[in-house]
Amino acid sequence: MKVIYRLAALLLLVVAGFTARAQGIAGGHITGSFQTDLQMSHADSVIGAQDVDEKLLLNARADILYQNGNFSAGLRFEAYQNPLLGFEPKNLYKGQGLANYFLSYSTDKLTVTAGNFYEQFGSGMILRTYEDRYLGLDNSLLGVNVAFRPVNGVTIKALAGKQRYYWNYADGIVRGLDGEVNLNSVVKSMADSKLRLTFGAGFVSKYEGDETIFQPENPEYKLNLPHNVGAGAARLDMSYGNWTLQTEYARKGQDPSADNDYIYREGEALMVSAGYSQSGFSAQVQAKRVDNMSFRSVRSQSGQMLYINYIPAITKQHTYAFLSLYPYATQTTGEMGMQADVIYSIPKGSLFGGKYGTDLSFNCAVITGLDTTQVGGRGTEGYTSKWLSTGDLYYGDFSVEVAKKLNSKLKLTATYAYQVFNPVVEGHAGSLHHNNVLIADLTWKVNKQHRLRFEAEWLGSDSRYTATSADRRAGDWVMGLVEWNIGRHWFVSASDQYAYNDGIGNYYNLSVGYNHQATRVTVGYGKQREGLLCIGGVCRQVPASNGLTFSLTTSF
Amino acid sequence: MKKIIFTIILSFVAIAGINAQNAKLPDNISLKTLDGQTVQSSVIQNDGRPIIVSFWATWCKPCNLELNTIKEVYEEWQEETGVKLVAISIDDARSSNRVKPHAEGKKWPYEIYLDPNQNMKRAMNVGDIPHTFIIDGNGEIVYQHTTFVDGDEEELIEKVKELLENSEK
Repeated sequence: MKVIYRLAALLLLVVAGFTARAQGIAGGHITGSFQTDLQMSHADSVIGAQDVDEKLLLNARADILYQNGNFSAGLRFEAYQNPLLGFEPKNLYKGQGLANYFLSYSTDKLTVTAGNFYEQFGSGMILRTYEDRYLGLDNSLLGVNVAFRPVNGVTIKALAGKQRYYWNYADGIVRGLDGEVNLNSVVKSMADSKLRLTFGAGFVSKYEGDETIFQPENPEYKLNLPHNVGAGAARLDMSYGNWTLQTEYARKGQDPSADNDYIYREGEALMVSAGYSQSGFSAQVQAKRVDNMSFRSVRSQSGQMLYINYIPAITKQHTYAFLSLYPYATQTTGEMGMQADVIYSIPKGSLFGGKYGTDLSFNCAVITGLDTTQVGGRGTEGYTSKWLSTGDLYYGDFSVEVAKKLNSKLKLTATYAYQVFNPVVEGHAGSLHHNNVLIADLTWKVNKQHRLRFEAEWLGSDSRYTATSADRRAGDWVMGLVEWNIGRHWFVSASDQYAYNDGIGNYYNLSVGYNHQATRVTVGYGKQREGLLCIGGVCRQVPASNGLTFSLTTSF
Repeated sequence: MKKIIFTIILSFVAIAGINAQNAKLPDNISLKTLDGQTVQSSVIQNDGRPIIVSFWATWCKPCNLELNTIKEVYEEWQEETGVKLVAISIDDARSSNRVKPHAEGKKWPYEIYLDPNQNMKRAMNVGDIPHTFIIDGNGEIVYQHTTFVDGDEEELIEKVKELLENSEK
């Protein structure tokens, strides 16, 4: 017996000593984060909240990273028991387990990752794998990803894998190759040039086996589907002094899919962005044209999953509640548009600048459909489109924001916006909605201990609530919010959104939060609209709910 | 029996030794400069003086409040402590082109990098933003904080000063 004890003690000592040595010498570290969100919701037909049979819904995740010299490894545990409202389809999200794992070796010349990885080529027009925990989105590839940097300024990436699909992996195989050269690093004579130039190009191919899709007009004709679909893109990023220009062009081969109703037209996309900036003033213009560029690893997939590429909306991401009530959703099958941004800081001491200066920002965007002519249905080219000719108006907006520090304690931000919204971008037919939005946001630093924030918003719209449209955003709205930050750790916030004219709904909400270093706990009660919520000094995406919510996040 | 207890205690001490050292700022993560060049995160340096790393985005109001507020006192901070603020934008392709005009229009005096696919964000366990770190002269993460409300900048500079005082001892 004594021998066993001694052996056990020796073993323990050896293990402990070895661990300590390995950790001490190579500097291994474990870091991570943990997050859990709970929801108790009651049905409310007016705001569209559903009844929760389980009484309590929970989303949780834990990320653990281990780093030791050039090696790193990561694990992610996720649990949806049962998934929060808005995570649909519920039965696919439901479950718990290891959702992500990887091993990586990295030096300044080479990074090799095996397991789940996230990667982006250029702006993501042909490939971007990423995750957004609040949208329930994760299209990570499970496979191998290599990045090689032979000389300073040159990066070559190669990857292959299968995409995550809820708790499984899709059948389609994704392979990609990308190269990027920064001329200022590679060409010695350009090292100090005012002209900064970076070129890049990438190619992505997806492989998927056959399936049976018929042509509706000729039910005996089965489509001859391409098993390999390729997409390529080239990009340029340049700046000269205060001027910048970024552009990327992408093309995709024949890719009949559920998104384009199985037509054989090739896809293409072009993005151009130009800007001028100097200290205190900047202007930027961006244009985009997207034609049949939905690219997924499974052709029959719809909804938000299994995209290989990423085509974002170019409209400004608004954060105030009423500015983002009618958000534009990008149309990967076809859209074109422009957006412009101007930011100006009126200097201190000038007529409009006052003692502290004034910040002005201006933004506008117009997005339309393509001008297309139908040439056939499923199994044909589908349609043709005119390059510079626009189709239906999808979305337009214009906003001005003035931010001003009034004195050492008060700051005011005032915003006016006008929006035109076509419900077709959300898949519903209907007439255009026209909205006017006014917002005042005042922060008051009462003293070191107490800080208050007041927000008042108004939205006037010509959309009206009817039983057939059932659009819960319709009508005219007012909103008030008070946020009280106490000391360094606590906040309390109360808000109400109320439809006062031809709309329905009254969204009241009370939240209390505690924050210490990288740990935050928030408890909320009330009716919550889904969307981006910025209270208590942090921004996060929240689902629609009616009842109690609890959230805990921590990083270590 | 005593030996066993002794061994167990010794093991705990040994294991505790692991935690005595703080995690380091990752050095092999790809970031982009505002000129579009890809660089590794090891470029984040401040000659052995502290660094504040702040994760932000153009659309994040509290992040903008944090960086605007610190702008007012940044010169003073630099003179007193030699600290440098590195602002890492997690704007994705939707708004990453806007980062340079945004920062210049607002006269931000910081070193700014783009993390459009959130590689650095994941490597540093950042969830919601703003999320701010203090890195000491050896590249170790000594403090982190999420959220920003007016006045939080004072706590940040206090921590930097504490760090400098402790390192002088």
